[in-house]
Amino acid sequence: MVSEKQTFSGAKHYVLDEELAKIVNISMALEMPLLLKGEPGTGKTMLAHAIAESLGMPLIVLNVKSSMKLVEALYQYDTLTRLNDSRFGDSKRDVRNIENYIKMGKIGQAFTSDIRTVLLIDEIDKADTDFQDDMLDVLDQMEFDIIEIDKTMGAKNRPVIIITSNAKKDLSDPFLGRCNFHHIAFPDPKMMRKIIRVHFPNIDSDLMENAVNVFYKLRELESIEKRPATRELVNWIRALKSDPDFKAKELAKGDIPYLGVLFKKSQDYERAVNTVSRRRL
Amino acid sequence: MFIGFFYKLKEAGIPVSPTSFLTLQKALGKGLVSSLDDFYTASRAVLVKSERYFDLFDQVFAHHFEGAEMPDYEGVELDELARALLESWLHDPKTLAAALGINESEIAKLTPDELIEYFKERLKEQKERHDGGGKWIGTGGTSPVGHSGNHPGGMRVGGASRNRSAVKVAMERRYRDYSLDGPLTQAMVGEALKRLRNMIPAGPRDRLNIDKTIYQTMKNAGEIEIVFDRDLKDRLKVVLAIDNGGWSMDPYVHVVQTLFDYARAQFKDIKTYFFHNTIYGTIWQDPSRYKKPLRIQEVVRFDPETRLILIGDASMAPYELMASDGSIYIDERSGKPSIECLKFLAETFRHSVWLNPMQSNMWGYTQTISAIGRIFPMFEFSIDGLEKAVAHLMAK
Repeated sequence: MVSEKQTFSGAKHYVLDEELAKIVNISMALEMPLLLKGEPGTGKTMLAHAIAESLGMPLIVLNVKSSMKLVEALYQYDTLTRLNDSRFGDSKRDVRNIENYIKMGKIGQAFTSDIRTVLLIDEIDKADTDFQDDMLDVLDQMEFDIIEIDKTMGAKNRPVIIITSNAKKDLSDPFLGRCNFHHIAFPDPKMMRKIIRVHFPNIDSDLMENAVNVFYKLRELESIEKRPATRELVNWIRALKSDPDFKAKELAKGDIPYLGVLFKKSQDYERAVNTVSRRRL
Repeated sequence: MFIGFFYKLKEAGIPVSPTSFLTLQKALGKGLVSSLDDFYTASRAVLVKSERYFDLFDQVFAHHFEGAEMPDYEGVELDELARALLESWLHDPKTLAAALGINESEIAKLTPDELIEYFKERLKEQKERHDGGGKWIGTGGTSPVGHSGNHPGGMRVGGASRNRSAVKVAMERRYRDYSLDGPLTQAMVGEALKRLRNMIPAGPRDRLNIDKTIYQTMKNAGEIEIVFDRDLKDRLKVVLAIDNGGWSMDPYVHVVQTLFDYARAQFKDIKTYFFHNTIYGTIWQDPSRYKKPLRIQEVVRFDPETRLILIGDASMAPYELMASDGSIYIDERSGKPSIECLKFLAETFRHSVWLNPMQSNMWGYTQTISAIGRIFPMFEFSIDGLEKAVAHLMAK
C-alpha cells in the first residue's frame, strides 16, 4: 500500500526550496509530524497542499479553533440525532447501536481512510496547551479510544502529518519533542520572482521587476501591523495586469495603484498611502 | 555518532533532548543522510525545535564541522562589531572588474579557519574603507575575505550567496533575527496578550446546551425539552497605566507604543491612563497629563475584576516614592506618599502586574524597582515576561 520510495519534490503551483524538500522527506521517512512555523504568507499551508498533490494522496485539513477540544478532532458522538431517532423513530438507523451515531472528525478520517493521506493540522497555536499535548499523544500512538462504544481506533495508514503554527512563542516541550521542526523564512526577492513566475508564467519582466521592488520596499515601511505577504503580492499583480491603463513604468516613478490590495488594515493602509503620496518610498 | 556535536549544542544552551538525538541516529541509520548538507538540514529539523535557536545552531555547526571560532562572550562583541563595520563597508560594492586573478593559488590554500583569522587580523589593521587591492577588506578585491571578490574556496562576508554549502550557509547566520534577544514586535505582543481573556455568558440564549437538554429530557421521561444557553463573550476589562514622562522612559517609547496600539485594537473595554515615574493622587487620561485627571480614589468604582497593567521603568529617586510630598510636580500634593497610592491600587485590583522594560538583571541596582516589585508582581517587558504576566493576570 505504502510505497517505500515516495519522496516529495514539489508541485505545480508551489515553489519548493531544496532545504525544505529534504526536511519533508526526512520527516516522512521517520514517520514524524513536521511542525512548520513562519510568518503568514510564507506558504505553510500551501506546502501541505503541494505534498498531497505531488504524492497523489488526499488531503485532510483540520483547522484548529481556540475553543476546540481534542475529541472533536477525533470523533463526534451525535447525541442529538440519536435522541431524535429514539423519540420519533423515523430513521433506518439502529438506535440501540451507538456506533451508528459516531462520526469521525478530521484526525479520525485520516486514520480510517483506506489510503494514506496527508493530514494538515493548521494553526495549532490557536488551541490551548492541553489540546496540543493530547493530540500529539494520539498522533504518536496512532490510535485513540472511542469511549462511548469502548473501541480503539487504530490508523490503517500512517498519515503524513504537517502541523503549522503562526505563533512566535514556542509550543510545549513534549509537543516539540515529538515533531521535526522547520521555520520558513519570508522568501527573498529572488525566490519571490520564481513564485511570481509560477503564478504568472508569461508575465512581462518589467512589470515583475518593478512590482517586486516596490513590494519589498512597502514591506519595510515602519509600524505596519500586517505586512503584505506573498498572497497579497500575487493578488496585487493580478490587479495591475487587469488594469488596461496601467504601465509598469509608473511603479518606478512612484505611482502605486491599488494599495488596498496590499494593506488590509485601515491604519496600515493610511500609513502606506501617506508614504507613497509623499514619495518617501 | 556525532555525540560530541550533540553535547556542544547542549553546552551552547540549545535545548536538545536525547530522544531527538536518537531520532537523528535513526535517520542516519536509514541512509537518509548522505552528505554534510543533508546532515545540516536533518540535524536541525530533528534536534532544534525553535527558530530562536537556529542562529546558535548555525554557529555551533560551523564550529564543530569546520572549526569556525565559537564566539565566547567577548567574541560576540567583536564579531558583532566586525560584522556591522563590514556591512557598512560592503554595502555598495564597486565593480570587481579590476582585480581578478592575483595570488589565486596562494589564497586557495587557506582553510576557512585561517580565513577567519586572516579576516580578523586585516580588520584590526584596516582603518578605512578600501576597494580593490590584494590585502584589505573592501569590495571587489582578491583578499580572501570580503565579498563579490574572486577567491577560490574562500568564505563570503555579506553580499549575495553564489555557491551554497552547509558550512557556509551556517556561517551566514541567516537566523539572527529570530534569536532570543530580538526586538518585541506587535505580532509577539499580540500572541502574548491573546491569552488574556475573560469569557462571560452574554447576549441572547441561542446556543443549544446538549448535556442539559439530554438531562432535562431524561427527567421528563423522554419528552424532549431543549435547553439554550447564552454565548460566551470576552468581557475582560483592562486598565493600562503608562509611565510616559521623563527621559528615562524614552528608549522604550517604541515598545510601549506597540503594546498600546495592540491593546486598543484587541480589548473592547480598555482604559488608558498616564503617569510620570510613579502614581501620586492622580492619573491622567491624556498623554500630556494635563487635561483629564482622575483621582486615584475614584478607581474603586471600577470593576474589581479589572486587570490593571502598569508600564514603567520604576526608576526614580527614592524620596519620590517614599516621601508624603515626593512628587516632582509642585501641584501634586495628595498628602500621601506614592507608595501608599500604589498599595491602594494593588489592593483594589486583585489582578495587577507591573511591566518593566528594563532588563530584569538590572533591577537589583535600583532601589525603587525592588520597592515597587514588592507591591506589584513585576515582569520584564519581553515576550517571556509578557507571557508570565498574562498567566499571572489570568490566575484565579
